[in-house]
Amino acid sequence: MSNDNSDVVLRTVGLTKRYRRLLALDDLNLEVCRGQVFGFLGPNGAGKTTTIALILGLIAPTAGHVEMFGLDTRRHLSGVLRRTGAILETPSLYPHLSGRDNLRVWGALSGGVEGKRVDEALDLVGLRGRGRDKVRTYSLGMKQRLGLAAALLHDPELLVLDEPTNGLDPAGMREVREVIRGLGQIGRTVFVSSHLLSEVEQMCDHVGIVKEGRLLTQGSVATLLRQGEALEMEVTEPDRAVRVLGSLAWVNGVRRDHDRLLVEAPRERAAELSRALAEQQIYLAELRPREGSLEEFFLEVTGKEAVQ
Amino acid sequence: MISMRAWPTSNMLAAELLKVRKRWMPYALLLLMVAGAAILIWLGGYGSWVEERNDPEFGYGQESLRTFALPWSLTGLLDSGQFWGAILVGILVASAVATEHGWGTVRQALIRGRTRSQYLTAKLLGIAIAAAITLLLAFGVGVGFSVIATALADRPITLDVPGGPSVPGVALMVLRAGYGIIPYALLAFCLAVVGRSTTLGVVGILFFMFVEAIVLGILGEQSGWAADARAFLPGHNVQALLAANRIGSLGGNSLAPRDPALTDLPDPAIAALVLAAYCVGFLAIAFVIFQRRDINA
Repeated sequence: MSNDNSDVVLRTVGLTKRYRRLLALDDLNLEVCRGQVFGFLGPNGAGKTTTIALILGLIAPTAGHVEMFGLDTRRHLSGVLRRTGAILETPSLYPHLSGRDNLRVWGALSGGVEGKRVDEALDLVGLRGRGRDKVRTYSLGMKQRLGLAAALLHDPELLVLDEPTNGLDPAGMREVREVIRGLGQIGRTVFVSSHLLSEVEQMCDHVGIVKEGRLLTQGSVATLLRQGEALEMEVTEPDRAVRVLGSLAWVNGVRRDHDRLLVEAPRERAAELSRALAEQQIYLAELRPREGSLEEFFLEVTGKEAVQ
Repeated sequence: MISMRAWPTSNMLAAELLKVRKRWMPYALLLLMVAGAAILIWLGGYGSWVEERNDPEFGYGQESLRTFALPWSLTGLLDSGQFWGAILVGILVASAVATEHGWGTVRQALIRGRTRSQYLTAKLLGIAIAAAITLLLAFGVGVGFSVIATALADRPITLDVPGGPSVPGVALMVLRAGYGIIPYALLAFCLAVVGRSTTLGVVGILFFMFVEAIVLGILGEQSGWAADARAFLPGHNVQALLAANRIGSLGGNSLAPRDPALTDLPDPAIAALVLAAYCVGFLAIAFVIFQRRDINA
């Protein structure tokens, strides 16, 4: 992936973090372009939170650096963070303050926001009615939503979200997903980490997959899913069909499951495939395209790592 | 990651004041300091004087009178206020700094485009303002008690006594006592920043004060270089500053465990410099470590 510099909002260059013997992140090279909703996917302990802490300048890299809005964060961290909103792993809030006062504090640290903006942010996450209650009385889901409001408070160009739906019930998760999708639609750039495949598939247009501190792949969700496309069929003579299909140059692989065959080939070539079999007097009983799923792709690249 | 920009914006300071204002600790500090002033003026001063005023064995209660009656009461109030204020402000500082780590809010604060130095400076200034207001209020209440007690004792309410201070002189007395609190507050600040722990900050300052008092006592009984070594400890220098607050040659009672008869104290100006060196040292350790460390929680 290579893009014009002005288009790249977030870039990591050889980002590495080592804690004594543990290599938490190894030579991470990521690019997130303006307007993308980028899902940073990986199993627990893969290095997602470390990456986010490095991006936000909370921890220092062992090697490499981060560029945001085209600026090297080693020199311009304060400036670029003012254009960024973030949620870290768990909601970090002042329990002795009300939700509204928490937002006032975060707003002040972001350079000052008007009271009206605080109300809008509370509205956005459905907490207007509880804004005057102390945060210590909030549920985890409410705290998570208040954290999202804090991240959005100063209308940032880039949002960096670490597992933003943690602790939310299904309805809350859907609300957050809609907020994030909506942000993408209005041109905001979102970098969101998650270990939930379905969540990333629903929210993101681009994805990077990380495992054991190494980036395994990155690209648009559509492109990655296309790699997992296959044609599923039932034929009269499966054994011979496997040999015939295996001889076709554009077939990437054939797997057999009893009488059914799974052929890794572009769906546009289904007719050619049918003709090739018919020429050998092998006939189709059923043929249907099978969509690639992010889960399959993820399992393939991470080596069957268990995820939800 | 390192930026030398350290002065916080007014918004940051307002946020710190909001946070500290909504904590219960400054109010507990005020309550305890007022209670201390009441004990000193009413129990240690006026109550004792009522019992001793006709008794030649107790010098007709002259020491008790100097404890509660203006202007001598100012010395005792400030002496006690410095000692207990140092402990209570230390607890407030350690708690305000370390709980931000416990709640994880330090990370949220640092990702909002302000430098780490600005964050620490804002926190320090916010606590300093809150502590100063609280301590001045407590001192004001103590002076109020003293005015009432002086009137009840049918004595003139005046600063005009032999060796008595002028009004600017009273301000200087307050500044000396307040200055004596700062090194201990900054020690608590430094320990809380380094250890990310309220307990370390609180226990550290209490342990330091306890051990320092023992060491000063032992060194005070020696002569030569051992006695001179006291000049390097903050407690000895704080006592030198507070000795400058004395009105006349005789003193009243105080709630601080200090030897009022001690005479071989450093010059107050030198003492102020030694204390400043401690302050700079504690600040430098806290800022450098906070600037360079990974903030994981």
